[in-house]
Amino acid sequence: MRDVFAGIGFMIAGIVTIITAQQFPTLPSLQYGPSLFPSLVGGGFCIGGAVLTLNALWQRRKAAVQEVQGNPTLAASPSEKMSWAMVLPPIAIVFYILASDYLGAMLTITIIMFLLMLLRKTKIHVALVTSVVMSSAIYFIFSHYLLIPLPQGVLLGGSLPWIF
Amino acid sequence: MNGVGLVLNFDTILVILAASLFGIFVGAVPGLTATMAVALLVPLTFYMDTIPAIAAIVTTSAMAIFAGDIPGTYLNIPGTPASAAYVGESHALAKKGRAREVLGINLVCSVFGGIFGTIILIVVAQSLAEVALKFSAFEYFWLAVLGLSCSIFISVGSRTKAFLSLLFGILLSTVGLDMMSGAPRFTFGVPDLMAGINFIPVMIGMFALNELMGYYGSKSEKKTISIVDNDSVFHNVPRHIKRYWRNLLRGSSIGTLIGALPGAGADIAAWISYGVGKGRSKDSAKYGTGHIEGIVDASSANNSGISGAWVPALVFGIPGDSITAIVIGVLYMKGMNPGPTIFMDGSGLIYALFIVFILANLMMLPIGYMAIRLSKLFILTPSRVLMPIILCFCIVGAFAINNSVVDIWLMLIVGLVAYLLAVNGFPMAPAILGLVLGSVVENNFMSAMLRTGGDLTSFFARPISAGLGIAVILLWCSPLLIKAYRYQKQKSERASL
Repeated sequence: MRDVFAGIGFMIAGIVTIITAQQFPTLPSLQYGPSLFPSLVGGGFCIGGAVLTLNALWQRRKAAVQEVQGNPTLAASPSEKMSWAMVLPPIAIVFYILASDYLGAMLTITIIMFLLMLLRKTKIHVALVTSVVMSSAIYFIFSHYLLIPLPQGVLLGGSLPWIF
Repeated sequence: MNGVGLVLNFDTILVILAASLFGIFVGAVPGLTATMAVALLVPLTFYMDTIPAIAAIVTTSAMAIFAGDIPGTYLNIPGTPASAAYVGESHALAKKGRAREVLGINLVCSVFGGIFGTIILIVVAQSLAEVALKFSAFEYFWLAVLGLSCSIFISVGSRTKAFLSLLFGILLSTVGLDMMSGAPRFTFGVPDLMAGINFIPVMIGMFALNELMGYYGSKSEKKTISIVDNDSVFHNVPRHIKRYWRNLLRGSSIGTLIGALPGAGADIAAWISYGVGKGRSKDSAKYGTGHIEGIVDASSANNSGISGAWVPALVFGIPGDSITAIVIGVLYMKGMNPGPTIFMDGSGLIYALFIVFILANLMMLPIGYMAIRLSKLFILTPSRVLMPIILCFCIVGAFAINNSVVDIWLMLIVGLVAYLLAVNGFPMAPAILGLVLGSVVENNFMSAMLRTGGDLTSFFARPISAGLGIAVILLWCSPLLIKAYRYQKQKSERASL
């Protein structure tokens, strides 16, 4: 069933791509404008999505027929269960984007590491020590060695220890 | 001599050493792939000189591919997808108390395969580069289309899904100002997108964030090793090599060839080589029960595949696998455009690169030996501690390229899409090839059309261009041709009955 939705999703994406591409300006001197490739990709999305959907529907029908004929082994499609926890990394990233300007990059990544470790049942002292040491190391490498202006944060007011 | 000087200096050697340890570690931890290792490394290589940067990538990928065998042997879980083909054999032998012997043979085969692939790279690339010098926009257009087509037809699983994955990559490549008209495309008013999609956050999203989400979406891991090893690492290796030297040569040759095809990486090379080995072996019945022969075939193939992928990447700028796709991105960032001219610019860069390959593979012997002795330590590293660290590294790494939060958003969006695609069985390699080659196809098409006033037949006017074009058409027609051939065969068989 997932393939049916994926196929429909691609077809919608294809139509949106084609409509957006039609709004790109064209130059009279060029035979092929900036909309050509995006339109081809959009067309490809529509065709590929349709093939995927029809194929999935056909497989479903075939499986249903086999079930009726008393051969359910082929009919049963194992559906892999996805845990809600897969949203943790994206949430952590959004938290970093929103919080790092205030908390500073180092404190934000320490919090992310610490909480994610605890959620996977790491012992609290291991999680605390590892997250503090590793976030300091990452911060040091990027801001001191590679000279990346990572946000220092309003909270600490740029008062990080001298090594940073 | 220039090349030797570029490699044999303190900085580069230090980078190679550090990258070796990093590669071994990432490869040996189940769930972290060689491509992920390279994607994580890219933000750091951005700040290095070209040679140490490339050395870091070459060494990391070679080490990670070998180290993927370690958890495969002990836990029956491949450390990287490239070890999946023979994990059953390795684990079956490990259960018989021969874990170190298996890893010893893995190590020697990996080193041999890597060096074999490098020698082919040195020999073939130079002469191919001379041919490639004659190429114009028409040939490069077809070559890129051929590369993209290969990534669909060689990929494992549904071709429709590979096709859609490829289109997703091409769509990403169209973001930014159009080369011809200067019109912004899919930029949504974000100034950071005007110059196009930044390659590195996309890589990190596709290969690291996607895998991190997969880890958190799965049940918690419990890694216990019940294998007891008291055997020697290298003691039986000469005996096996003497017996299976043909497999070693065949595996390395197949690996190099498959690696050189765009879209097919070390994992597919290992599967094909294992399959060929099984088909041609006198002891094919022993395969699957713990047989060294299959391990020799596939273990040499995956490392030679890594080297083989560099042939089209360096000569034509067409990546052979996901790792070389990342490398091409790095080379462009450093202003060094891959293509035949890098063989003739006299800077010695290409020779330095060859030396790096040999050095990285040779260093695999001592470092790999150490890794085998410490394998249990690597395998038991808890992912619950490691994954949050990798996530934070991804966030900071994505930001570091342009000091822009837009790149973190980009990583997040691409990672989410990649995760949704991956859990539904869409391969990721075509998407990354699409991103790298999409602009090559479009730019060469547009400049060819500008030159010929929009005459499409000009793509078949030059002999090499026409040859490549016919190859592409044949490749696309191949499923139909194969079906027609099978139908005819079945029909004639029925008629003879």
